[in-house]
Amino acid sequence: MNGQGASGRLPAPLAGAWAWLRRNALSIYACLAVAYMLIPIVVIAVFSFGDTPKDKLTFGLDNGFTLEYWSSIFSLPELNEALLTSLKLAALSTAISTAIGTLMAIALVRHKFHGRRVANLLIVIPMATPEVVIGASLLSMFVYYSVAPGFSTLLLAHVMFSISFVVVVVRSRLIGFDRNLEEAAADLGATPLTTFRTVTLPLLAPGILAAAMLAFALSIDDFVISNFNSGPTQTFPLYVYGVSLRGIPIQVNALATLLFAVTVVAVALVLVQQRRAERLAAVRPTPIPAPGAPAAT
Amino acid sequence: MSLKQRLVPYWLLGPGLLWLVVFFVVPMYFMGELALRSGSLTTGYTFDWAWSNFPDSLSGHTEQISRSFFYAGTATILALLIAYPLAYAIAFRAGRFKLLLLFAVIAPFFTTYLIRTIAWKTILSDDSPIVGVLQTLALVPPDGRVLATSGAVIAGLTYNFLPFMILPLYANLERLDLRLIEAAKDLYSSSRQAFLKVTLPLTMPGIVAGVLLTFIPAFGDYINAQLLGGTQQAMVGNVIQSLYLNQRNYPEAAALSFLMMALILAVVTIYIRFAGTGAFMGDEDEEAAR
Amino acid sequence: MGAGETSVRKRALAVALTICAIVLSLGVAACGDDTVGGGGNSDEVTTAKGGPVSGDLAISNWPGYMDPGSNNTVAQFEKETGVSVDYIEDVNENEAFFGKMQPQLEQGESGGRSIFIVTDWMAKQMYDLGYLQEIDHGELPTVFENIRPQLEDVSFDPGRKFSVPWVSGMGGIWVDTAKAPEIRSVNDLFDPKYKGKVTMLSELRETVPLVMLAEGIDPIEASNEDWLNAIDRIKEAADSGQIRRFTGNDYTEDLTAGNIVAAIGWSGDASIVENENAEWRMPAEGCALWSDNMVIPVGAPNTGAAYGWMNFIYEPEVNAPLAEYITYIPPVEGVQDLVEPELAKDPLVFPSPEFTRNCTDQDSPPDLEPVNEAWQEVITG
Repeated sequence: MNGQGASGRLPAPLAGAWAWLRRNALSIYACLAVAYMLIPIVVIAVFSFGDTPKDKLTFGLDNGFTLEYWSSIFSLPELNEALLTSLKLAALSTAISTAIGTLMAIALVRHKFHGRRVANLLIVIPMATPEVVIGASLLSMFVYYSVAPGFSTLLLAHVMFSISFVVVVVRSRLIGFDRNLEEAAADLGATPLTTFRTVTLPLLAPGILAAAMLAFALSIDDFVISNFNSGPTQTFPLYVYGVSLRGIPIQVNALATLLFAVTVVAVALVLVQQRRAERLAAVRPTPIPAPGAPAAT
Repeated sequence: MSLKQRLVPYWLLGPGLLWLVVFFVVPMYFMGELALRSGSLTTGYTFDWAWSNFPDSLSGHTEQISRSFFYAGTATILALLIAYPLAYAIAFRAGRFKLLLLFAVIAPFFTTYLIRTIAWKTILSDDSPIVGVLQTLALVPPDGRVLATSGAVIAGLTYNFLPFMILPLYANLERLDLRLIEAAKDLYSSSRQAFLKVTLPLTMPGIVAGVLLTFIPAFGDYINAQLLGGTQQAMVGNVIQSLYLNQRNYPEAAALSFLMMALILAVVTIYIRFAGTGAFMGDEDEEAAR
Repeated sequence: MGAGETSVRKRALAVALTICAIVLSLGVAACGDDTVGGGGNSDEVTTAKGGPVSGDLAISNWPGYMDPGSNNTVAQFEKETGVSVDYIEDVNENEAFFGKMQPQLEQGESGGRSIFIVTDWMAKQMYDLGYLQEIDHGELPTVFENIRPQLEDVSFDPGRKFSVPWVSGMGGIWVDTAKAPEIRSVNDLFDPKYKGKVTMLSELRETVPLVMLAEGIDPIEASNEDWLNAIDRIKEAADSGQIRRFTGNDYTEDLTAGNIVAAIGWSGDASIVENENAEWRMPAEGCALWSDNMVIPVGAPNTGAAYGWMNFIYEPEVNAPLAEYITYIPPVEGVQDLVEPELAKDPLVFPSPEFTRNCTDQDSPPDLEPVNEAWQEVITG
């Protein structure tokens, strides 16, 4: 980008604007990107207020405004149950796969041992396997061993396909990590467990959080593998797919919006709470977030 | 090193490997055996080392495979271009609200894919103002459309796999030491050079992880092609789905899946060598570094 | 380090061997039997036994096939008989449902369900594989007293040996009358005027028979050759871009959004097409009639209660509110007099024999495999 050349030819006010634009290019771009990511949820939210004559989701634009679906948001027991099942499933599967996967990532990056290649292969292959094959072969196995499909088989399957993603994300954080801090802790007499808890884990936290979010999204969005292994259990995607055959009730929109809003508000509350706690403790360890940090462009 | 220490990695790997072995390897072993059977649903499938399933499953489907490669590759590049600056901005510009922003960006993916896709279909429908704008800008031919084209499938893949790109990039960028970049700027004096020589190499593990997490599942995806594509956009995932569920040709479906997995592994291996992050597959670089 | 190294190697080897042993024992056991599929029980078809209408009853049905509310048909059945019903809406697609149940049916188990509801051809496929029990007409007095005469004998199940209709529908054309009022035949869908503005169903037994009908071929009598010719015609239209997409139920979205002017679709979908100009039309050459049927799988528990349920559903007073909710064709005689007058006049819900005179039953091709393979190649083009 030859910004200098351009600003040279521009009249002063425009040059100022151009310079401002250049300085804030990253932030502006980020805002656009965030807007792009949010487009579907905005559409979903808008149509949850739409007054459709048949109470079915059609995304028609000629509707009036109504709060009807928000006031009856929990009026469909099957929808509530499916969403609760999915939330429970996603939470459990995220907790288990994140814990297991983080340990694996640590082993693979930090330790040298025989069989690493095999372990690596075993982690990559499940991601490359078509869902229908995973779903069908798992079901065949469960049926063969007389395990009735249901919530537990769903959990086993979801943890299985989440592990690989967790390992790859956590490992990308671990590679090239500065080990001096841990060694320092060990030198100061900390046991390996204490070192792990007080040094390694906090350093890894953003990686673990990212992995957990991915595992959660994977679980709560899965259709194919769940469809095979759910038995009589209904998850949110299975429910929505099913009702889509005869028209999706608009409460689904309202609930999806609510789920989004609750997630964001909860995180905001946690952050505000943290800040208050920090202020009360009168500690100010602001880790140089640098307003004038260099742009990537 | 003591024996106890030597065994640590096995203890760490143990639970995960056991889970993958019991719930992935064992079912796959069953699938592998199925890929060598012949017969039909009515006569039953008999095991007779039917290696011919492998070439048979490929016949007439090479186009879908190359198409998958193209779609997934394009979507991965687009996702990287969108996600990298976004993850960078979240990590360094959002201050203490970076977590909030991260959640806001990822939370739309907690709604189910079907509703998200219907929302996109509404936005991009033939009569929508957005398509009108695209037509005015000559990005879409005057009587053209967006839905039921290759562009729609690629756009769908890009959007739906963005979290797979953003999250590893964020996890990696977040630990980037800004002082290094300051120092680099002092050395190279241009932001671009500082980026190319310092930021990019330091965040390479994140890029590699994001590219893998996006490309691999996107290659096997069938939902985007089914919901957003037309009659000429089927991917290899659609073929496997159809072989398995509609034609009940379990052996060929299994055979094609294995071929696809082998192809992906080959691509991934080449890519990782190329990207020079051997640590991902436990490569020689790492072993040599011992 | 030498000694430690050896012992580590030994340990690693031991771990690897243990894993191999687990894999082998699980895997070999899983592959113990020689054939997969082929219907293990096809030699001895059993007839479901009658018995007291009590205990537990699990039913797998399609979504949208049951009126909602705490006093709906399920609740009334429970109240009247004391049976505790587990009503599961997990039949979203015939193929996917079959894929999910097949491994269990192969073992002679029904996953705890006593009744499935599947479409004609799927019922036939399950029956041919030995996955279904036959029904005892003596246990179903209400059903065979009240069933509509046209449904008593159908080509896929002459004499209703293993299936009892839940609801019926017609495959025909949905037309956006504001944009293409003149479309009246499936042949019109191939008119270059509508290039890229037409969708067809991805289901072989829906789309291909309609195209054959339009060509003057009776799908019931059609040879494999006829099927393949019709598929060729569709393939050409797909390759040229005439056909926009092959769809499942989601053609309704395209119709609502105005992306298409016509689609092959079902008669009962008016409740989800939100386009006031859209209407379902009986093709000039006739339609394809299908039913979703209650069947009793092998290994079904409590078949006595299953019979009780079927009889209950065939009481006209019970079926009327169901018909009002489902808006497809009810299989029970006498329902027409009990529903709201407006619905009673709707030819799509209560079609007269005159209205459906050219329609045929939905059927599979004589030799399914090559036809289906050719069709799937068109779908996944």
